[in-house]
Amino acid sequence: LGPSGWSLSPFPVTRSGTPRAVSVGSSWPAKMAAPAVKAARGWLGLVLSVRSVVLRLPGLTQVRWSRYGPEYKDPQIDKEYYRKPSAELTEEENYERELRKTQLIKAAPATRTSSVFEDPVISKFTNMMMKGGNKVLARSLMTQTLEAVKRKQFEKYHAASAEEQATIERNPYTIFHQALKNCEPVIGLVPILRGGHFYQVPVPLGDRRRRFLAMKWMITECREKKHRRTLMPEKLSHELLEAFHSQGPVIKRKHEMHKMAEANRALAHYRWW
Amino acid sequence: MAALCVFCGTAVSYRLFLGSRVSLARGQGLWKAAAAELQTGTGSQILRLRHTTVVTTKKNVAALRRETYTVDFIKKQIEEFNIGKRHLANMMGEDPETFTQEDIDRAIAYLFPSGLFEKRARPVMKHPEQIFPKQRAIQWGEDGRPFHFLFYTGKPSYYSLMHEAYGKILDVEKHQNQLRARNLFSEKTKTKDLIGSRWLIKEELEEILVEKLSDQDYVQFIRLLERLLTLQCGAGEEEFVQRFRRSVTIQSKKQLIEPLQYDEQGMAFSTSEGKRKSAKAEAVVYAQGSGRIKVNGTDYLLYFPVTQDREQLMFPFHFLDRLGKHDVTCTVSGGGRAAQAGAIRLAVAKALCSFVTEEEVEWMRQAGLLTADPRVRERKKPGQEGARRKFTWKKR
Repeated sequence: LGPSGWSLSPFPVTRSGTPRAVSVGSSWPAKMAAPAVKAARGWLGLVLSVRSVVLRLPGLTQVRWSRYGPEYKDPQIDKEYYRKPSAELTEEENYERELRKTQLIKAAPATRTSSVFEDPVISKFTNMMMKGGNKVLARSLMTQTLEAVKRKQFEKYHAASAEEQATIERNPYTIFHQALKNCEPVIGLVPILRGGHFYQVPVPLGDRRRRFLAMKWMITECREKKHRRTLMPEKLSHELLEAFHSQGPVIKRKHEMHKMAEANRALAHYRWW
Repeated sequence: MAALCVFCGTAVSYRLFLGSRVSLARGQGLWKAAAAELQTGTGSQILRLRHTTVVTTKKNVAALRRETYTVDFIKKQIEEFNIGKRHLANMMGEDPETFTQEDIDRAIAYLFPSGLFEKRARPVMKHPEQIFPKQRAIQWGEDGRPFHFLFYTGKPSYYSLMHEAYGKILDVEKHQNQLRARNLFSEKTKTKDLIGSRWLIKEELEEILVEKLSDQDYVQFIRLLERLLTLQCGAGEEEFVQRFRRSVTIQSKKQLIEPLQYDEQGMAFSTSEGKRKSAKAEAVVYAQGSGRIKVNGTDYLLYFPVTQDREQLMFPFHFLDRLGKHDVTCTVSGGGRAAQAGAIRLAVAKALCSFVTEEEVEWMRQAGLLTADPRVRERKKPGQEGARRKFTWKKR
């Protein structure tokens, strides 16, 4: 019952809003509720939103709930969004703005600010590196990694000739983004039960899953395959630079995943979505 | 055990749940069926609130039918309510003509103070329309023939409403076709204010029609109304559609803006409080300054060694482009490091509302700076290791 968000606990759920409808792809209550929940929105502004029908099964309580009710929307933190004068906006944006005035908004999380230095990819990577809730350590490791990348690139830059200097990228953020993009697999394998056996079926991956896999592989690789005495920033900066040049163990793992998907392509018809 | 039924004169009024729910809901049924009726005692001016209780005897199958309130009964209740309202106004020394429902509520709370936690169990005096559930009158005559032509659909009011709406759509289309035939049709799109209102929700529609609807019925009905709106309809159709829209509050109006205060030197400042988890903060933001922030007497650089917390303190200022323009002195207690930072951020944002235009206040609200974060630590449950973590599963 794990992925469906339901549990057998009889413990009463005391909160201020209604349980959030579970939105896992394979769970059947959500599949039934999802088409009903989708808001059909024409630009004229007619929003048809139907209350999601969440089944109440006896003996099961919903455990994926939030302290915010379902009517709370996510905050829009980008400063430039608000500074745009209303003359420049399209009809849709105007309507969107007017609509937001009537909506309840959640509080901004502690990790987000309107700062220009904030990067959502870096924040996500830092959270994935974090162990036991030690955000301070994870963030310091991240900054040390970026510093190490920058230092290495500057050393290379100063040692290189004039033509090569033009090709060397020194911005650690672009290196980080490009490295992770190079590590993203295009196609993945999913175990599908058929006739009592689990077959590894090749399946196209969504954006989020790809980004997650790239980051996960990078972190696992750096944790496991390093010497006891090397520190994480050093190893991670090394791996990032290698991935930036499409070399290294993480890229190799991505290629292996692609090869396995290619090998199993006969099973592709097992996929029904 | 049979509960007592306290009523005299007319038929017992109770509301029972059908079928198997009776035994389970009996405890609740007692209170849900507590129809607060006002009845003037014979000859006396004193008002008595009555709780009618449920009669549940297992053998009385006939009593399980839903009791219908006759029209005369409801009328009598309304008359008694109005008379009682006037008596109450006299008792409170107010004018009976201008005695509103809020006055009634206040008077009842004064005369019958109740310490019960459940608000719905407290004494209440409301118009009988709000107390007795709306019921449909008998829908067939003496010969057994139903009055409504759609009775056999099972949902006559709903289908007649759909019929009406569709009829209006056809009329509008016919009218537009006629105009087009005469080349008088003009494609003007008038933008209606659809943002300040929302469609009725399914429960509200059920209440109006006094019928149970399914989700698909409700969706179909709303689709019809939206289709009617996309065509240019006249005033009659607009009125018809507006019956099914309710207004929605503009959230920014609810934000309380602290008034500015002035200290001895004449400098303007604003005070505000903020909370996050168990941390409470109070911030005083001065109008002129150079961006110094003092937390519990120490500089914020020393109090918050972690960058993330300092970024949170800077967030409201950076959002409003007022980074070096204000001085802040704040006190904070409770919570942990990040909770205290969040509490101060909320306090500072609220205090900055006094220095800033209403539009910017709305921007801050939409950026999530003015909402108190309701997330708190989830409690540990019995039989589990933590809030979510279960004990290690052992096969034997």
